Amino acid sequence: MLSLPSTFSLLAASVLSPVTILILCVVAGVGTVLLLPGKREATIRWIGGVILLAALLIFIALIVREGAGQRGEGVYFWLFSGIAVISAIRVVSHAKPVYSALYFVLTVLAVAGLFVLLWAEFMAAALILIYAGAILVTYVFVIMLASQAHSGASGQAAEGAEYDRVSREPVLATAVGFALMGVLLFVIFEKSEGMVRAGAALAADAVMEGGAVRALGAYLFSDQLLTLELAGVLLTVSMVGAVIIARRYVAEGAGEARPEVIVSPATPLDDDPHSIPVYGTRNPVAKAYPEN
Amino acid sequence: MEGLFAVRISYLIPLLPLIGAIVAGFLGARWLKEKSHWPIWIGVGLSAVLSFVLLFGMIGKWPGHAAAVPKPGEEVSLETRVLSTQLKAMAMSVNWYRWIEAGDFKVEAGALIDPLTAVMLCVVCGIGLLITIFAAGYMKGEKGYFRFFAYLGLFIFAMTVLVMANNFVLLYLGWEGVGLCSYLLIGFYFERPAAREAAKKAFLVNRIGDFGFGLGIMLIFVIFGTVSFFGDGAGTNSGVLELAIPGGNFLGALEPWKRQAIPWIPFLLMLGAFGKSAQFPLYVWLPDAMEGPTPVSALIHAATMVTAGVYMIVRCGTLFVPNSGAMFTIATIGTFTAIFAAVIALRQFDLKKVFAYSTISQLGFMFAAVGLWSPVPGIFHLVTHAFFKALLFLSSGVVMHAMLGHLDMRKMSGLRKVLPKTHLLMLGGCLALAGVPIFAGFWSKDEILVSAWVYNKGIFLVLLFTAFLTAYYTFRLYFRVFQGPVMVPTEAAEGHAHGHDEEHGHEPVDEHLQGQAHAAAEHSHEPAIMIWPLVVLAVGAALAGFLNWPEREKSLGGFLGESPSLILAHLATDARYNARFVLPVPFGAEEMELKAVRDQMHSVHVVVAVLSILAAGLGIYSAYSLHLKNRSRGEELVARYPGLTRALEAKFWVDEVYQAAVVEPLRGLGRLFYAIDRYVVDGIVWMVGFVPQLFGFTLKLSTQRGSLQGYAVTMLLAVVVILLVLFL
Amino acid sequence: MTVLVLQRYLAVGAILFVIGLIGFMTRRNLIVLFLSTELMFQGIAVNFIAFGRYHLGQAFFHGQAFVVFLLVIAAAEASLALGLVVLLFRRKNTLDADAWRELKG
Repeated sequence: MLSLPSTFSLLAASVLSPVTILILCVVAGVGTVLLLPGKREATIRWIGGVILLAALLIFIALIVREGAGQRGEGVYFWLFSGIAVISAIRVVSHAKPVYSALYFVLTVLAVAGLFVLLWAEFMAAALILIYAGAILVTYVFVIMLASQAHSGASGQAAEGAEYDRVSREPVLATAVGFALMGVLLFVIFEKSEGMVRAGAALAADAVMEGGAVRALGAYLFSDQLLTLELAGVLLTVSMVGAVIIARRYVAEGAGEARPEVIVSPATPLDDDPHSIPVYGTRNPVAKAYPEN
Repeated sequence: MEGLFAVRISYLIPLLPLIGAIVAGFLGARWLKEKSHWPIWIGVGLSAVLSFVLLFGMIGKWPGHAAAVPKPGEEVSLETRVLSTQLKAMAMSVNWYRWIEAGDFKVEAGALIDPLTAVMLCVVCGIGLLITIFAAGYMKGEKGYFRFFAYLGLFIFAMTVLVMANNFVLLYLGWEGVGLCSYLLIGFYFERPAAREAAKKAFLVNRIGDFGFGLGIMLIFVIFGTVSFFGDGAGTNSGVLELAIPGGNFLGALEPWKRQAIPWIPFLLMLGAFGKSAQFPLYVWLPDAMEGPTPVSALIHAATMVTAGVYMIVRCGTLFVPNSGAMFTIATIGTFTAIFAAVIALRQFDLKKVFAYSTISQLGFMFAAVGLWSPVPGIFHLVTHAFFKALLFLSSGVVMHAMLGHLDMRKMSGLRKVLPKTHLLMLGGCLALAGVPIFAGFWSKDEILVSAWVYNKGIFLVLLFTAFLTAYYTFRLYFRVFQGPVMVPTEAAEGHAHGHDEEHGHEPVDEHLQGQAHAAAEHSHEPAIMIWPLVVLAVGAALAGFLNWPEREKSLGGFLGESPSLILAHLATDARYNARFVLPVPFGAEEMELKAVRDQMHSVHVVVAVLSILAAGLGIYSAYSLHLKNRSRGEELVARYPGLTRALEAKFWVDEVYQAAVVEPLRGLGRLFYAIDRYVVDGIVWMVGFVPQLFGFTLKLSTQRGSLQGYAVTMLLAVVVILLVLFL
Repeated sequence: MTVLVLQRYLAVGAILFVIGLIGFMTRRNLIVLFLSTELMFQGIAVNFIAFGRYHLGQAFFHGQAFVVFLLVIAAAEASLALGLVVLLFRRKNTLDADAWRELKG
């Protein structure tokens, strides 16, 4: 395999050259800018979506053509990765946070599928449990809480809040983001000589005996024992932190009718705006120098 | 000389007032307060005692008319060795320590003890002591009492350094020191704008003169390679004043350009003298300096500091005398200043202003004397003038004290009955100033007139006329203020103007004084502490003329003649003007020894004395007829010449001319420079600073927006750049 | 040798990561902001697992172990971040991230 670097680079240069990647990134960037929530009409956002999809498909086609004859996971890979990427785009571009969260669930599920393709069944299960099961539920709770309170407070229409409908600096952020993506893809496809390891095929036999989950468990609880314990400590600490934050939140929330100290407007002493304001009296001097 | 104890401890003379000033200045505000005058009294008093001990010690060592003085026409070897033995007779240079040493430039802090220094020291410390005593009464209850006395002590220190210095740099230190004290004391009432302005004016005008003086000292060092006045007396090295004698080996060996530069030295030094001694172009600060407290006017601006120029020219006689142009300039300027200031004084109404112009005029007399190289009359007049002008100023201070700050002679009259003691004292001072026989001013002025008669009849006539004017304006003041019907400026009319000099607001501080001032209907308070120093001064003003009684064995002139400065200058004169040198009175010696000269001088003296008595009498009589007998006639005379009156009242518009010719152009230049500095230089600097500032501001606006996501964008941009750098 | 399977997974991971990043940078809703960071976690997790599978060979589980800890971090982050978001929301009654701009120095 290592005897063919020249062919590899030649082929790579022919199809997935940096220029191609650059052009694709630019196109996808334009599409993303149009797709991102903003003060645009829905059709334009649709056009953006189509452009983005087209760029994605061209990219897939290029990779497929490049990898023709390569043994791979075939259709499942394309299915899962397509779902993951498209739903990720929707997470980012949807104007309503609830939908974003739901699309995120879809992304998580697709990524879990990719994990299965990569022989990481346990990780797939863990991902679904933790993300789709635990984290996402929390998110949705918070979204519900906030948006309900919000719509109740300001009487917003079903359109959602202004900060959901208008993104900030989409052009700059997208340009920077796709610049990063271009660099990453360039590195992945052009500078990948060191990625190839002869031992990659061995892994299948070594892993398969006794089951992958058992092997992972053995590894985690032998080699990574300390790290695992530390992770547990970290979780505990974050839980304590979350509890404390929640307590404050509860205390503040309960204090909606908190005892009012101010009985009159804050009065600066001697008309000095920098003096410490005195509450609760119309005569600040009398309050400032109590008799007792 | 070496044996004199006073010489060995001569460093105490400047040191004691300095210590007093430090004590008063640093302890006065908190602890001494109303007793702040004590350190100064003690310091200046001890200095005065030391000065007189020194003077009398020297007189005791003085053999009389020294045989050492060369006869006129006698061949004089200019060898330093010969001079050294001569000079050692009555002079010695005491080096206290090596002050500055930088390569060839060596400056000793040391004293030159000679008759001239001794006389000056006695004047400075003696008059200084009397005035500090007076000031304790006069300044009582003032806000900056301790500050005043600290400044006074500092002034005495600087002035004694000035007159004791044995080199130019130390002289310059004292010179600037007295200038500083003058500035501080003129601006003593710094709350008043007029005082501030006057102080600034005095300082700036003196700066012009001192700039020339400093340049002169630098030139002296460049040419002579030393700044000492005289060598150490052992003959191993020589001072400037020895080297500068024409015909000596040193000057012959000089490079041509240096020889050509020598004539400039006296002109540069002269500039300093004109500034400090308020001569014509640079006199404008002195009248304004009267904003200071009256004791300051008496001490600094009449008796001592302003005479520093006269002292300096006499001290550096050898540098001046060979340069006939410089001498003529000094004489002319002095004469012109004398008559000019006297004319202005005719129409002044403020007592202190009259005396200020009178001081300028009398200083003009002294300059005329030294310009004609008659140093003894010059110094003699300096001494007598110190007495009677201090007396006059302090008397007017008493008047001001009594009149609650009023000095306008139009508002007061007949004070003879209100202030009887002051009246007598003032009369003594006026007689001395007017040049009435027996009183001090007569003798010294007479000697100056004699010199003028001998040298230049034109100058003589001008000075004689000035003497007439002096007598007139002096007695105009006297008759107006002290004679005639009693008239006192009423408090009611002036809205409770309080205190003496000005509104220094001391009423809550000194209720005693206030109560005294208000209680006595005629405001007659002449405290003993203010009267007794005046009595001493009055005795001096009356009798100081006999110091230089020409027929006496030991006279001031003869004593001063022992000073190496005068001896060397005499030699320099001799070498240059041997033929026409008539020897009026530089030394008493010649007069005593050469009968022909003595006889000639005697007749001159008699003629001049008669003329000056006539002038004084005429002046007094005109003053009497115009200002006492028939005051309306005085007013008619004024009304008859309105143009002249206006010119006099405007002081010949000299201040305005200065304003238009010097101040405004300079101010315009300053504005121009300011504009250049502001818009060109600052503009460039500002641009240099502005570019990064703009850059930073742009960065701040574009990156530091407080938005977390914005920071993320920036960070990511950097990550992209780093990745590109790493992998491309 | 053409495009490796590993490279496809890496590409997917990179795309997910960058999409999350873009979301983080453009969206203003604090909750969506954190959702975007979770997306970035997803991309990284794909990367790790793919590397473990195709690159490390013998040390097959290193990548998976990484992801385990990554999930731990994600969980901790989600709990704390959402608590903070609620606090912030309580303070200003808005989820707009730009509402906290005055915290700049």
